[in-house]
Amino acid sequence: MNKQLRLDQANMRGPPNSEVDRRAALKLFVSGAALALASCGRPAEQIVPYVEIPDGMTPGLPMRFASALPLAGYGRGVIVTSVEGRPIKVDGNPRHPASLGSTDVFAEATVLSLYDPDRSQAPYSGGRVQDWSAFEAALQPRLDKARARHGAGLALLTGRITSPTLIAQIEAFTKALPQVKWYRYEPSEDDAIRNGAILAFNRPATLLPRFADARVVLTLDADPLGAGPEQIRFARDITQARRTHVPDQSLRLYAVEPAWTLTGALADHRLALRPELVRNVAIEIARSLGASVPELKGPPEAEHFAKAAAADLTARQGGGLVLAGPRQPPEVHALCHWINNELSAPVDFIAPVDPLNIGGIASLKSFVADARAGAIETLMILGANPVYDAPGDLAIADCVAAVPFSAQLGLYRDETAARCTWHLPLTHVLEGWSDIRAFDGTASIVQPLIRPLYDSRTAHQIMALLSNATGPSSFDMVRGYWQQAGKHGGDFEDWWRQTLQDGVVADSAAAKISLPAPQMPEVAPVSGGENFTLAFAPDPSLFDGSFANNAWLQECPKPFTKQVWGNALHLAESDAQSLGVVDGDMVRLVAGKAVLEAPVLVRQGQASHTVATTLGYGRAGAGSLGTAVGFDVYRLRPSDSPWALADVSVSKIGGRQNLLLTQHFFELEGEAKDLQPRFALADLAKKPDLGLSKPGGNPATLYPPHDYDTYEWAMVIDTAACIGCNACVVACQAENNVPIVGPDEIAVGRDMHWLRIDDYVIGGKPGFSPVPCMHCEHAPCEPVCPVAASIHDSEGLNLQVYNRCVGTRFCQSNCPYKVRRFNFYGYADGEEYKSFGDDIVKAVFNPDVTVRGRGVMEKCTYCVQRISRARRAAEKDHRKIHDGEIVTACQAACPTRAIAFGDLSDANSRINALRAEPQAYALLGELGTRPRTTYLARLENPNPDFGKAQS
Amino acid sequence: MSLAAIRTEPTPPEAVRWTLPGARSLDAVNELVTAPLYERQLWSWKAWWLAAALSGALTAGFLVAVYVVFTRGIGVWGVNTSTVWGFAIADYVWWIGIGNAGTLISSMLLLMRQKWRASTNRFAEAMTLFAATIAGIFPIIHLGRPMYFYWLTPYPNTMTVWPQWRSALIWDFWAILSYILFSLIFWYVGLIPDLATMRDRARSKFAATAYGAFALGWRGSARHWQAYETLHLALACLGVPLVVSLHSVVGMDFAASLMPGWQETIFPPYFVVGAMYSGFAMVVCLAAMVRWGFRQEGLITIAHFDVMAKVMLMASIVMGLSYATEWFNAWYGGDRPDRSLVIFEFTGSYAPMFWALLFCNVIAPQAFWIAAVRRSVVAVFVVSILINIGMWLERILIVWNTLSHGYLPSMWRLFIPTVWDWLTTIGSLGLFVLMFLVFVRFIPAISMHEVRKLVDEEGS
Repeated sequence: MNKQLRLDQANMRGPPNSEVDRRAALKLFVSGAALALASCGRPAEQIVPYVEIPDGMTPGLPMRFASALPLAGYGRGVIVTSVEGRPIKVDGNPRHPASLGSTDVFAEATVLSLYDPDRSQAPYSGGRVQDWSAFEAALQPRLDKARARHGAGLALLTGRITSPTLIAQIEAFTKALPQVKWYRYEPSEDDAIRNGAILAFNRPATLLPRFADARVVLTLDADPLGAGPEQIRFARDITQARRTHVPDQSLRLYAVEPAWTLTGALADHRLALRPELVRNVAIEIARSLGASVPELKGPPEAEHFAKAAAADLTARQGGGLVLAGPRQPPEVHALCHWINNELSAPVDFIAPVDPLNIGGIASLKSFVADARAGAIETLMILGANPVYDAPGDLAIADCVAAVPFSAQLGLYRDETAARCTWHLPLTHVLEGWSDIRAFDGTASIVQPLIRPLYDSRTAHQIMALLSNATGPSSFDMVRGYWQQAGKHGGDFEDWWRQTLQDGVVADSAAAKISLPAPQMPEVAPVSGGENFTLAFAPDPSLFDGSFANNAWLQECPKPFTKQVWGNALHLAESDAQSLGVVDGDMVRLVAGKAVLEAPVLVRQGQASHTVATTLGYGRAGAGSLGTAVGFDVYRLRPSDSPWALADVSVSKIGGRQNLLLTQHFFELEGEAKDLQPRFALADLAKKPDLGLSKPGGNPATLYPPHDYDTYEWAMVIDTAACIGCNACVVACQAENNVPIVGPDEIAVGRDMHWLRIDDYVIGGKPGFSPVPCMHCEHAPCEPVCPVAASIHDSEGLNLQVYNRCVGTRFCQSNCPYKVRRFNFYGYADGEEYKSFGDDIVKAVFNPDVTVRGRGVMEKCTYCVQRISRARRAAEKDHRKIHDGEIVTACQAACPTRAIAFGDLSDANSRINALRAEPQAYALLGELGTRPRTTYLARLENPNPDFGKAQS
Repeated sequence: MSLAAIRTEPTPPEAVRWTLPGARSLDAVNELVTAPLYERQLWSWKAWWLAAALSGALTAGFLVAVYVVFTRGIGVWGVNTSTVWGFAIADYVWWIGIGNAGTLISSMLLLMRQKWRASTNRFAEAMTLFAATIAGIFPIIHLGRPMYFYWLTPYPNTMTVWPQWRSALIWDFWAILSYILFSLIFWYVGLIPDLATMRDRARSKFAATAYGAFALGWRGSARHWQAYETLHLALACLGVPLVVSLHSVVGMDFAASLMPGWQETIFPPYFVVGAMYSGFAMVVCLAAMVRWGFRQEGLITIAHFDVMAKVMLMASIVMGLSYATEWFNAWYGGDRPDRSLVIFEFTGSYAPMFWALLFCNVIAPQAFWIAAVRRSVVAVFVVSILINIGMWLERILIVWNTLSHGYLPSMWRLFIPTVWDWLTTIGSLGLFVLMFLVFVRFIPAISMHEVRKLVDEEGS
């Protein structure tokens, strides 16, 4: 550890031509060594462990601390596991409303970005590494000047900020210097939603759906299950409301969307419509509720869909709910508010958690205007990267460059840093104190897990610096704020301790507000033009691009396309045919002056005349892993409608690009449908035997059964609840030291994920099956291994002994599920992809799991290290392991609780109950492998009247 | 007719004679076979040197490829997560198949009293030895951690871990090992009388000493001959079951699995026939070379090609029948993965190779129905080359099709060979040719004592 840090201190990147003489080298060495000694270890302030409070840390025992991680400015509560001072794993915080104990891919991958060797490590200006005192010296005269003018010429540009402490700091600062400007912009902007509420209620309000009370939900270009700060919570709520097998009580989901979203994939009825036409469905619903709006004229399938949905929505008094997405204009949102009010929909409203009183785009536009007018002399950019992620038509790079003194505080020396006069290293969220609110307003304290690895600052420290308040640490500021604002009733110390331990500030959720009846907006049906519309969406793996240098996320196969290390323009089949393009063909997309040449991915079931793509790629300054991967669509993004670009023409150009896909598209037909069986709830009740290959219903065999003396571990995966979010995939990677292989290896067909999500299309509808190792009782991999490296243990685990493996790969050859992964190179052990092999990255390894070398096979172990830990604990207490005591990494991450794990030998275990469900099945069970991992079939709840309405 | 009458009936004169008239004396045989070794000045060695240079270069390429595979790992090949096996396994099966024919010709034809084998068995056995040796290299270099290949042996170790006896790879390991040892012994035993001949005819003391040492004091006494014949026949009796078991075990590498296209009971016999088929094709190629290079038209006659073509014709029919049986069973069995695999074979990404294999292995040899083709050395040579290519395609497709198109469509992935795949494959061919060239340069390529026996039996 010391050596690693020392190396990193010494690696502080200077300009290429800087000369270091002998004396300077010695100075660096001494200071580096001193820093290394001083910087390794726990934070100086007291942090409170969540679960166990040891008398001093016991080496080898992981400690777990509650914290919160931001996504698009909103927090998700987490519990971070730290081993000997190194945070290595993020889990959800069950007490936090935006987590409920689960995670998403971004939370899981945060530990890797902490150890990203490309992180900015020192202030940087004028083409060389500087120190903080130089920055302070440069800033001071500008601050003095601004102060003399009540802050005129001084501006802050931030992302969305929900940190109560930081907001208070900024407010105090702008109060003292009223001329200071604060601009706020977030790439995953939701201005339309905000403006829609203003249109309907004459005041901003945030809608919070109560899915638990909903029976019919219609999403209009909305993706509550997609990547975002609410994803985990909404995914849990929606799937929970669908758990019942009683069709009338189960939540029925209708989705109207231009391109596939996770919501559309789960929906019982889905309609693909280009973005402009989505409003027509809303209007038709409103009409059926008695609004005096013009009647919808075609397309017939939209008309039919809208009628069926409207009938269903109105039939469930108080259970119907309509949600519109950020791509839809404010009028549609206002209309949905009106519809929801008519339906008495299960929704709550809160005052916006984001305190800025104008929309993000409007704020950014005023920044552009001020910067062009020369009104900004000193610009502080806190944590944002607008040069990359602002809408292209604002030409923000020139605006930033035009400011005489600009400083960006950021994790990376990115695109914005390149245009600023100063770049300052930001403290990682796992390194510094802060606080943050969730989407529903619940506040959490952000606890550091490790001292800052580099000489970085938090936004709190920068604000303190701007306010000339020297001395207080981030900890003091955060604690100080809550001492003032927390409802601790005088006993602050206990309250603080409890709050840190819980990970949430009690009773901090935003209060529900009551609103007047929404006004009916002016809105009329439209018809689509001949040209294409380019629909943007946050990327399921990189979100807005801020995760571009995270190798786990770059290599996380996107739902539906399974693309990694890149993005593509998604085209409907019909459009692809008329353009004469197939997957990987290059097309030219022209919108006004903007031109984009990019590869195509053809998607069945996408709306015609729609080109769909995701943000976050084509970074110029992401770091060694994320730079120049894919193409950048921010530059095409219009500031007036940030999620859709109308009037785009698409033409085929020569050339191809090899798209990196980990699974190719397959429509399952005939008997292959058994690989992913699906049933309607209504049929489930009617048919006792669904014709499935049942768990435990094994074909005859000549071999004697295994003897299991203690436990019999098994897993059940509910594909009805799986939304395909990939949280389990990344969680498995984090827990089990699963390396990435890099794009070149992916191109050859190699990957290392122990858990993959198979995505099959049946009858035009995608469905997800997570596939870990099946831990077969009659495992085909075991008898074929010549050296007994693949063995069966007494608890039914199918184990791989890495030390013994010679790498014949016969086990994977013979595995019907192809779940084994081979180290063709030393992906984790000396032959890593780019900076993934830097020493500091090794800090993320879980010490309980072997790091595999070249030439050995590996695979899912059911998190055997967690089983061992539970067994040790149980044996100490002379008891058996309780049902539910062991939670595998994938299970812990799953936002919908689709994965269950337990002991088959315990007749009362939950796993046995799940395996007895009528829709339980064993994948390829007819082969006689007797898999321990079994599935619950996908259940759908289609509207029985849907077909009738058509005729 | 009584038994006694049968015994006393004169043997009818054979329609076919296996030597040309000029070679029908014991001296002539010795002269013909040893001349290339002892009267080198009479022969142009240009072709030999050219071939040696070319195969030497390929051998160097093979060594480079093996070095790269050992140092950089098998990641340099095109193997991937689904298609975890590739050229190395196909090459191994192909080489071990080639290594089959020597033993077949020597033992099985010996036991079946096929006299014509006399002039081909020596280099066929040498071919077997070299091919089996090369085949033995592939399973080792194909390992992810080749330095631990010896873990497949039951050696005493502190961990008291033994190999896993249920694995077909262990059976395979023993099968290859015993086969290589057997081939070496069998080849050497058959060589002893000829080494003595070489010793006796040596022009230099060095040659006399060297050959003499290996001749183990052979003096050609009746007692020697009696011991020799007994041992040789006994070895031949061992060899036949060994060769059948070896190729059955190779077949079981695939058949003792669970994968569609592999888990087939037909595999062991089908592999034995396939091995014999490709082995014969390779023997024909080598026979044509030896015949042309050392002007052995007197000993390796058109009749030899004719009879070997007939064997290959028979084998091609058996192969075609085996393929058809696989397809029929996939259809008749009705399992989705099996049927899907057969459709993939005919129409999938590897289909052009599959059609080529059917042409090479089943269609092309049908030309042997025509006597004129069988009796044209060039034609038989060309078809044999096609068969060798076809059999290699068959092996690579057995590996590729099943692994690229398994049970779960989500894991269907193709194999794209790399330059290192090709270099290991073609380089191994170079190594084989080089070993063979060295062999014909120093050791009588045709078994003199067996041909002498043949000439004697045929009468002059």
